[in-house]
Amino acid sequence: MTETEISGIGMQSCRQSAPFIRKLGFDPSRTAFSSSEKNMKGLAIFELPKPGDTIKKLWQHKTWSQFGYMGSITTDENGNAYTAPIPFVNTLDNPVSIINRIYKVDAQSSELKLFAILPQADTSPGVVPHGVLGLFYDCHGHKLYAASVAGSTMEKENGILYMLDPATGKVLDELKGFDACGVFVGGITGEKKLYFGHARTPNIYTVSLDKEGYFDGKPEIALSLDQLGPRGDDKARRIRYDQYGNLMVFGVEFNFNLAAQSDKPETVYQFGYNRVEKKWLLMKIH
Amino acid sequence: MQTYSSIFLFLFLTLILGCDENQSSKNKDPEKENALQSILISDSSNIAIPEVLQRIENIQQALKNSVPVILLKNLDTFQTQAQSIALHDAKFKENLFDKKTNQPYRNEIFNIYAARPQEVPMAFQKGQCYKVEMYNYALNLTTTAIVDIASNSVVSVGNIPQSQPDIPAYLKDLALKIAVHCPQVTQALGYKPGESEALMANTKTALNLTKCERSMHLCVAPTFIKQDKALWVIVDLTDHRVVGLRWTQVGDAGPVKKISEKKLKFDKIMNCYCKKVTALEKQDWKLNYVITTSDGMRISEVYYKGKLILNNAKIVDWHVSYSNSDGFGYSDAVGCPEFSQAAVVAVSEPRVSEIIENGRSIGFTLEQNFSSEQWPQPCNYNYLQRFEFYRDGRFRVAGASLGRGCGNNGTYRPVFRISFAGNENTLSEWKTNQWIPWQTEQWNLQTPQTPYTSEGYQFKLFDPSGNGFFLEPGRGQFADGGRGDNAYVYLTLQHPDKEEGENDLVTIAPCCNPDYHQGPEKFIEPSPEKTEKTSLVLWYVAQIKNDDTPGREYCWAESYLENGAYKTRVYPCICGPMFVPIKPAL
Repeated sequence: MTETEISGIGMQSCRQSAPFIRKLGFDPSRTAFSSSEKNMKGLAIFELPKPGDTIKKLWQHKTWSQFGYMGSITTDENGNAYTAPIPFVNTLDNPVSIINRIYKVDAQSSELKLFAILPQADTSPGVVPHGVLGLFYDCHGHKLYAASVAGSTMEKENGILYMLDPATGKVLDELKGFDACGVFVGGITGEKKLYFGHARTPNIYTVSLDKEGYFDGKPEIALSLDQLGPRGDDKARRIRYDQYGNLMVFGVEFNFNLAAQSDKPETVYQFGYNRVEKKWLLMKIH
Repeated sequence: MQTYSSIFLFLFLTLILGCDENQSSKNKDPEKENALQSILISDSSNIAIPEVLQRIENIQQALKNSVPVILLKNLDTFQTQAQSIALHDAKFKENLFDKKTNQPYRNEIFNIYAARPQEVPMAFQKGQCYKVEMYNYALNLTTTAIVDIASNSVVSVGNIPQSQPDIPAYLKDLALKIAVHCPQVTQALGYKPGESEALMANTKTALNLTKCERSMHLCVAPTFIKQDKALWVIVDLTDHRVVGLRWTQVGDAGPVKKISEKKLKFDKIMNCYCKKVTALEKQDWKLNYVITTSDGMRISEVYYKGKLILNNAKIVDWHVSYSNSDGFGYSDAVGCPEFSQAAVVAVSEPRVSEIIENGRSIGFTLEQNFSSEQWPQPCNYNYLQRFEFYRDGRFRVAGASLGRGCGNNGTYRPVFRISFAGNENTLSEWKTNQWIPWQTEQWNLQTPQTPYTSEGYQFKLFDPSGNGFFLEPGRGQFADGGRGDNAYVYLTLQHPDKEEGENDLVTIAPCCNPDYHQGPEKFIEPSPEKTEKTSLVLWYVAQIKNDDTPGREYCWAESYLENGAYKTRVYPCICGPMFVPIKPAL
């Protein structure tokens, strides 16, 4: 991989809007998937209002709510969207036995279908009710990454980071022993790395990836949200670069329970990379 | 601080339970040991030292002013001018009052200093700029102003929500005084510390060391070193009280463990009440209790005068539905704050209180609260679980919603599960002036037409010798503010070998079924089993409608301003059946 190629990872998006979005009459440049619309189960798409307008358009395909509440969403270069179920307040829609799954919205038909069944979690008492907490499609390696905490308990961290083939849903590689939430692939530091938020601590780890996206080495702590922001122990729900290559970490409170507020406070932490010290430094808290 | 305004017949003297110290001292993990020994101080009253009383008087005086701001004193001329300029600026003063009620918030100027070059816009670099920092206790908001003394103008104003500026020296001193006058601090250290012994008190909790992230209050953490340990005392400067104490190890190579309000509480609850069962022996009662992952507090192995009464009892779900929207509501499990299936979690310790009637103790209660993080804000919940045990052998399994929920048209349906000891029990219902046994698993709804015995009993559960309990449902007669339960009662056969609730149950029904489909029917239908002279489980699902009508509030909570900061007033709706011994114990 050339330096230019690596530094573009995570910056150059390959993502395309799904053809069905235009067919619905939505403007793709103002439309996005959402899994957190009030009083809506599952996925929806929304179109932001035009400047000067206030009406937000919402649409949901009939299949998008059938598997219960969804969490992380990522899209690929063809406009397909991948998402995973979450227990929202309770486990009625998605008990532990079927939580560790990934679903896909087909870019053409807009139908939501089961995409991958990850190993079923142990359903014995004490096992956390959560499954996949983070998804990210890497435009460079054309791979799908999933962070699952299924099977973890208070005493044992059994989470697994999966790398999947987006064409087949087959697991190609895995990194065991980490309960991770938000995931992201970037190369601004000069190395292609997977960033992942630790679900048990406010730390954000990185692990090197090879060109094809396979895990290469051991994870290391890259930065931390410890004592930052209004809560001081946020977990990284989502990680992305901004247009300048700063790392934007979307932090929320997470304690491996099902507590959910209607407006869960989220704080965005902006980190810049210091190439001399080879460190991520906090720039701003939004 | 919570203000309970419901009308209780009884006077409760509360005792916070502690971990078993003998057991904890055997612990080899120092951090776990420290968590076990930590102290949560739930008493919300402040420490009545002269400095605190004077402080409250100063606050009350400031709130009477047209610009209700506690000013920073002992300033030089420039600082005084900067403070004055800022307090004449409309934008800087934007958040001094509650916009709905026009009541003043508690605002205080914390710092005034020459602005740093990077804080001053280019156009004012040649001026004489000062930065003024003001803290709003009610909103947990920092407002800053850059003012130019030279031009007598405000350059910029900014608001930083959920943040606190560095505290001024006099508040540091006040925090130290509160800490050293706290009896639990003296007890923990083994002596009364002097103020000079506290470390890091000028490091405010929101910046580096710790936070009161649940109450969103201004907190600091004076820290006392004793041998190889540091005692963190989290002092709440909004309410002038100590939140709790926690030892940490010092001198290790690893990073210093930072103690916040949340960590203090969660670690204590997890280690003391979620990971271990606590035994309680009081009056003629003996029982165990534990906070579960999804079934609230569970009592088990309950004995009265040496006889096993209950296998266990708990609340497995709270169903909340709102009538203005079909299917809108929540099915909440309550339980441990971490690694649980609880939507509403324990954030305080269990409490044991005496029940006093006519000046003497007639029994005791065991209580536990579960709370959403942002309660009492809308769509956040607080539930109370209460077990009452009386000297005469009666006991009550009760619960209450403390609001506030998502609307004023909500119905709460707590699902009680009560597993009786004994394997030859029968349940009979009072009907047509006689006791009619339930021969199979079934359910029944308490209505205005429900017949009761003259004593108010609806059921009796008894063994072949005639021993057992009458069930007296809530009809508003318990003088605790409850207005009646309108309850479903289900009877099921006890199946220890099946997932029917002897262990933790996941949520068993959705939020909003308006009929008997509250979950227990799953263990009855489609083929009800025989229930005479066998092991039985009673399920009791009360149905309580909330109310926010002034003067009639029920299952409700509201915030109000006191001394410029928010407090909570609650209106619990207590429900749950009383069990009365059929034959008085000897």
